Formats: sequence, structure tokens, C-alpha cells
Amino acid sequence: MYYRFFLLYIILGITRTGWSQECNHFISGVVIEAQSGKKVPFASVFIEETGQGTVSNEEGAFIISHLCNTQIQLTVSYLGYQTYKDKLEVAANKDLVIKLQPINQELDGVDVSARGISASDRYTQLVSKQQISDGADKNLANMLETLTGVSALKNGGGISKPVVQGLYGNRLTILNNGIPQSGQQWGNDHSPEIDPLVANRIKVLGGVEAIQYMGNSLGTKVLIEPESLKKDKILSGQAGYYFESNGLGNGTNLQLQQSAEKYAWKINGTLKKRGDQKAANYYLTNTGVEEANVAFQLESVGGDRWNWSTYISSFNSQIGVLRGSHIGNLTDLQEALKRDEPFYTKDHFSYSIEAPRQTVNHHLGKFKSRLYVNDSAWFGFVYAIQFNKRKEYDVRKGGRSNTPAMNITQLSQYLEAIYATKVFDNWRLKSGLQFQYIDNINDAETGILPLIPDYNSFETGLFSGLKRHVSRWQIEIGGRYDYKIQNVAAISNTLPREVIRYNNHFNNVKLGLDTRYFWTSDTQLLAGINFSSRSPEVNELYSNGLHQGVGGIEEGDPALNQEKAFKGNLAMHTSAVNKLQLEVATYYQYIHNYIYLNPQDEVRLTIRGAFPVFKYEQTDAHIFGVDFTGHYHLSEKFKFSAQYSYLRGHDLTNDLPLINMPSNNLKTSFRYHQEEFVFAKNVSFEIHQQYVFKQDHLLPEQDYVSPPDAYHLIGLKLSAENALKHGSIRYYLKVENLFNVAYRDYLNRMRYFADDLGRNVVLGASVSF
Amino acid sequence: MKQILKLIGLYLIALIGFSSCEKDDPKIPNEEELITTLIYTLEPVGGGEKVVLSFKDLDGDGGDDPVITTGALQSNTSYSCEIQLLNELETPAEDITKEVKEEGDEHQFFYSSNIGGLSVIYSDKDENNNPIGIATQLTTLDAGSGSLKIILRHEPDKFGEGVAAGDISNAGGETDIEVTFDIDVL
Repeated sequence: MYYRFFLLYIILGITRTGWSQECNHFISGVVIEAQSGKKVPFASVFIEETGQGTVSNEEGAFIISHLCNTQIQLTVSYLGYQTYKDKLEVAANKDLVIKLQPINQELDGVDVSARGISASDRYTQLVSKQQISDGADKNLANMLETLTGVSALKNGGGISKPVVQGLYGNRLTILNNGIPQSGQQWGNDHSPEIDPLVANRIKVLGGVEAIQYMGNSLGTKVLIEPESLKKDKILSGQAGYYFESNGLGNGTNLQLQQSAEKYAWKINGTLKKRGDQKAANYYLTNTGVEEANVAFQLESVGGDRWNWSTYISSFNSQIGVLRGSHIGNLTDLQEALKRDEPFYTKDHFSYSIEAPRQTVNHHLGKFKSRLYVNDSAWFGFVYAIQFNKRKEYDVRKGGRSNTPAMNITQLSQYLEAIYATKVFDNWRLKSGLQFQYIDNINDAETGILPLIPDYNSFETGLFSGLKRHVSRWQIEIGGRYDYKIQNVAAISNTLPREVIRYNNHFNNVKLGLDTRYFWTSDTQLLAGINFSSRSPEVNELYSNGLHQGVGGIEEGDPALNQEKAFKGNLAMHTSAVNKLQLEVATYYQYIHNYIYLNPQDEVRLTIRGAFPVFKYEQTDAHIFGVDFTGHYHLSEKFKFSAQYSYLRGHDLTNDLPLINMPSNNLKTSFRYHQEEFVFAKNVSFEIHQQYVFKQDHLLPEQDYVSPPDAYHLIGLKLSAENALKHGSIRYYLKVENLFNVAYRDYLNRMRYFADDLGRNVVLGASVSF
Repeated sequence: MKQILKLIGLYLIALIGFSSCEKDDPKIPNEEELITTLIYTLEPVGGGEKVVLSFKDLDGDGGDDPVITTGALQSNTSYSCEIQLLNELETPAEDITKEVKEEGDEHQFFYSSNIGGLSVIYSDKDENNNPIGIATQLTTLDAGSGSLKIILRHEPDKFGEGVAAGDISNAGGETDIEVTFDIDVL
């Protein structure tokens, strides 16, 4: 019976995947309930390795096409049933019958982030394992940039932070393994302290899905998590290496895992080193990076009613900052702006990293446990500890360049207790209590008054989420409340130096509703609304002094109020038209009391000359935009893809554009894939281009220099695989900025001083065994 | 369920205990590198009354405004001049000029004025025979009024075109000091 059904599908040539790559294989099957044999419509079917996925149709049938002929991990999930997982060969699996067991101990409840696709999830908002592995030369934000609607705010080639639908820094929480990253995220010149290679999977969360996580964001969060361990008794793993021509960078990553009777372990390490990068026409002196990271995972295996896992990771990096971007005062900046080539540009390459530079260490330890109370309820517990150390070195007099000008240690502890159960008529309920303690200390060895004062904070949060799948609808509703106590001990900048104390109490609320409507199994509509409030962070309240990295005096305002934001989303995913897949997402966010650094008319006179003054102020603003992704399969071998993002941010009170908003951009790619080519398998060749429009929604007086012109970059990627005796090898060649175009990007602060990166050729290989 | 409630209760109690913790007093950094004061002393070559120009910002960047003391110069006079930099936050005041002198090859003062005929020439040298500008000679011609700007650059390109002669335009480097005095030439 099912066979006939599928035949019809194939004859009609309907492709019904949510996401696809090259390759011309497909898998298909039907999802049924194990005992009754009842069809399960609208179940999520997902391939771990590639991020491809779909949902079953009204008849419980599904098909995922454009697959390569490799081994994949297939995950099928549906609310109320145990998640199904299996490893299988693509070529041999055309008529799968997937039997879902009604809920029992394995249930994940509304743990929507755990596996597969959830109501509020947009397919494109996931960086898959393969993409991470092929992008080993990139940092977290640069990897996320491949998603539609995500940009990176940079400070040269080594420092970048993600911007999601216009939100970044304090407004965008980064979740390291589900734990709110506790580091120095306030500065635009601070990168998140996470190694994406250690993580395996990066996701952008929005709406209700994000509500279950702690973190003072305006709704959106970025989740970085490792994959769960294989239960194989044989040692397996992956070893990768890459070389990049720009900066003569080398990197290597090794992952090993094995399972024993009672537990499974995995170790994952990364080493990277790169020297001075090169713009189209000159070296970017002092832009090297060194990184050494390791992570260790240990999980219980089996465990009838109780399981646990531990995770320990350590991230360590040293980053050089372009020497020519280190400026004394306003006059220096104006002089630097006049130059074509930055000051201090050397005519040769070097691996050495001198001041200005940053060293960052971030260590995380996490213990997670889950106890199944009965067949439909569990109790979860998490404890995590984070240690963050950031040192920033400036060019200083009297041999002090080796004494950090900023030296901050942050210690954070996190506790979480969660209870999930089934309530009412098949609603999945998940509720939790979370607590985070942060202690932030400046080291006085700097000999400089700290820009960010010492503080500690205690935050307690309570959340609850309900989720239900009703025929064609999937509904998620959630809310959270956070109570935060902040104790600040600042040092006065008048004489005599004395300690000034502030004690704050904040109440933050987040509410959300997300719906997903399965119009047909090819087309889904997603709609959501949410409300978030965010209390001001310490930098916004109490910054006081010269921010050397930015060349301005920054002053906080202790009287700032909470930000309150409403956001609405509307999206559609469709593959109803033959060979064409489309995803369109629109959003509108209104932010009351939007906190921003407003340049003041006054300049502050110091012995070092005049400095511009920036004050943290509040206004009412809105940010809205459209993200579009499309794939068209010209033939079995050719695929055309396009991504377009449009975003606009505006200060409504003062009728001014918002600063630091991403430029609109258009990316297209054309991919050719051949299954067998001479001795290689899965050979693919891709040519892609990126057009970034000029940020024209900005007034000349809002910046020192007008935003850079639009630019257009072309790139290539060639990849292939070979089977080995045990496992496989994958190799790739990437060329970025093929024509060595000299350009500057609006979101890169280095644009004041130098061109962005020139041509880069990356050669890499990874062996899986 | 009762157990869970008990746990939550315990947790809340622990929380209240925690939250009453005040933040410890921060250690106040010893701002030894800070330059609070610039004193420019001009002594007429043929003898006469000294002129002392000073810029004091005792609490560093931000905080209270700096105090600027200016003076009047005589026309058609040569002055032998010396700059002194102090950190008056320390007691006794620390002389930063020494540090600048020791790292003479990494520092240079630049002088500029919009008063007609006023010129400044360097009278000291670093190890590479380039000027530092701690000791200078200032010469006035006609009477007039305007300003005198003194800039100290850290790590300038001292071999850049015109830099050794006191032209700042190709110097680069970071500005450690930039002060302007309104002066009259009588």
C-alpha cells in the first residue's frame, strides 16, 4: 500500500525536502505508531549530518531527496512519542517503516532544542556538523554568518560577534551547551569565547523556544551544543587539518569517542595559529591569532530511570589587534581616516602578536542529570561553573605594554531544576527554576581605573512552557520571570578615589506564543509573537572613562530603565513547486527604552587632547526585516541557491537611523555535484557570490566617516570524498575573495583604518574513522 | 512531588542567604603611568623673568575639568624651554619626563602655533640623533596673540618626512599629550 503511494510521489516528481544539498539520492518512508500501526502525520524527519529535514504528510509518508550516498543518522520525532534514531545507508533505504513508540522514559517533553525541528525553528537557522567541519578556519560568528539574517560585528579578522536580526551583544544571549555564556559580551571588540569545532552544532533560537533558557536577551538566543555520544563500543572519531593562505594559518582538530558498558566518553581538541592577515594590497600588521581548546564529555549509558552527563571545556586564545587601529585621541583618529594604508603597516608577514592584543580564557564545567519519575514525567538537574579571564594589552609607555590595560576575571555558577510532564489533554508541560551567580572582578595590576566596575549579580528565573500538536497545528506557549540583584562597587573618577556602591533589583518578564500550521506537507506557515524585557547591564549603567579600544569616553547612566520589546514573526516554508524550495521570514520588533551609545555634541578635554563623549541613552526604536532563502534544482547535478536579507532599524523618538545595523545583502551560489568522478566520491564544485549593499540608512553626522561602498565578492569551493578501509576521508579547497577585491564592511570597526581581507585559499581534509 | 517542593524551598533559602552578599571593595589601582600635569617653563636667553605654562588634570581623564595656567611672552625674544611631565596623584609627585627621556627614540613632542613669527626648534637628541623635544628653543618676533599647541606622540615614525624638523603630519603614533595654551606676545 505504501509502496504505491510512494510510486505516485516519484512519478509526480515531487521533491518535498525542507533543506537540501547536492547529490541525487533520496530516502523515503512512512511513520506509524508502533502498537496500532496508525499513521503519524506531521512528524519531524531530520538528518543529523546535513541538517536536511522534512515532515511526514497526512498519510504519514515522507521523502528527503538530494542526498549523497553516505551513512546518515536519521532522527524522527513527534510530540508524545519517543524520538526515533537510526544510522543507515542512504542508497539502501527507500521504503523505511518507522515505528514510533508512544511516550515513555525517553521522552523529551518540550525540550525542543534537543533534537530535530520544533515549531519555532526555521530550517535555515542551523549550522550543521558538516558546515562546521568544512569551516574549521572560521570562528563562531563567521560560521553563523552563513545563515540568512545573521551578520557579524567585527573588529578586524580575529574578533567578531554574531548579529541576529539586528540584535547583538547584551541583547543576544549566547548559550554554551545550554548555559548562558558568562563572559565579557558588552564590548563590541569582544568575541564569544567558544570554539565551534568543539560544539558540533550551532542554532539560532527565537520565540518560545528561547524562553526556557536563562539570559538577559531581547528574545533571540544562539545555542552552541555538542552532539550526543555514539553508543559504539569501538573507538571512533574524526581528525581534521586545514591550511589557509591569508595569514599562513594552520589548524587541526581531533575528536575521539568510545562507549563502554556503563558510560561513553568523547574528547575533542583544537589547535589554531595564524599570522598577519593581508588586505588586497597590504599586510594587516599584528592581526595574528592563536587558539588552543579542549573539551571532554562523559555520559552514562543505559540507566533505566536515571542518566547523567558531564562536560568540561577550555577555550584559550590570543588575538592581535591591527596595530594601526590603536589611537590616542580624536585627532589621531581623524589622521588615520585620511590614510589609504594604516600607520605601522609592515612590508612583511609575521606570526608575532604584540600589543594591542587580547588574551582570553574561558573554562566551563557542567553536570547534567535526569530522573524519570514515571512514564510521562521527568525531573532534570544542571549545575555549571564558568571561569572567564580577559586581558587586553595596549601600547603603553615605560615597558608597560606587557601589563594588561584591562584585566577582568568573571566567575559564574549556574543551577537549574526542571520538571516536565504531560498535562490536560496531551499538552507537554515543562517548567523550571534557574539560578545564576556572577562575580566580576578587575585586577588592579593594570594601573588604570577600570572602565567596567566590579560587581556581583544573583539572578533567579522561573519558566514554564506548554506545547501541543493538534492535527495540522503545533502550538507552543511559554513565559518566564527573572529576578536579578546587582551589587556594584565602582571607583570614583574624582579625587580622592573612593568606592561608590550601587544595589539594583530588576524584574524581567518574557512571554511568547508560537504556532506552526501544516498547510500541506509541503508548505508550513509559522507565526509567533513575543514580549521581552531586559534590564540594563553594568556597562550601560556604570561605564565611566576612556574606552581605549574605541577611542572615546563612555559614560553610563545609573538611571536607565528596562528595555521592553514586542516582536512578531511570520514565516513560510514551501517546497510545493517542483524542484523549488522557498523560505521567507519576516519580523518586526518594537523596542521601548532601547539603550544605545549616543555620541554627544561635547568633546572632553584631557591632557591627551580632546575625546568624543558617548553616553548611554534610551529611545524608542524599531527593527524590521525580511529574510529569504531559495533553492532551485536545475537538474540532478545542478543546484542554484539564493539568500537575501533586508533589515532596517530606526530610532522613532528622534527620527534617526539606528547605528551598527547590518547592511542588506544578497548571496547566490551555483553548485554542481557528481556522485562518482574518477576515483573520488561525492565530488562537488560550487561558485558563490556575495553582494553587500551600502548601509544607506544612516546620516553623515552619525559616524566619523560615511559607511563604506557596496562590495561584491566571488568565491569557490571544491570538495570530494574517498572511502577508506575504516571510514572515509573528505577534502576541500575553498577560495574566498577570488579576485582580491579591496573593500570595507560597515560592521567591521577596522574599516576606519584598513581594508578588509584579501584573497584567501583554504585547503583542508578530515578523516572519519 | 513533595520532595521536589522541599528541594525548591531549600533552594530559595540558599538563594536569600547568597543574595545578601555585598560586593567586596575593589582594589584601587595605582595609577603610576598617569600624566596629570604638564609644565612648560620658558626662560629668556638673555635673562629676565621666567614664563610658566601649565596644564593640570589631577583626577585623570573624566571627572573634574583640567586647570590651565597661561602667560605672556615678550616679542623678539628667544627662550630656552623645558617640558616637565608629572603624575601628581602620587606623593611625592612622580616625574614622568624621565620615562619619556629614557624611551627617547619612542617619543617626540611637537609644537605648533598660529602666532606669526613664533617658532620652536628642538635642542635635544635621542640615541638615533632625532629630536625628543623635552628641551627646546622658542623664538618670538612680532607681538600678537593666539595659541601654542604641544603634542607628545608615542611611537611616531621619527624617520618620516619632515618629522625630525617638527612636522607632525607624517608622524603617526598615539597621542599621549595634546594641550593648547592661549598666549599673548607683548
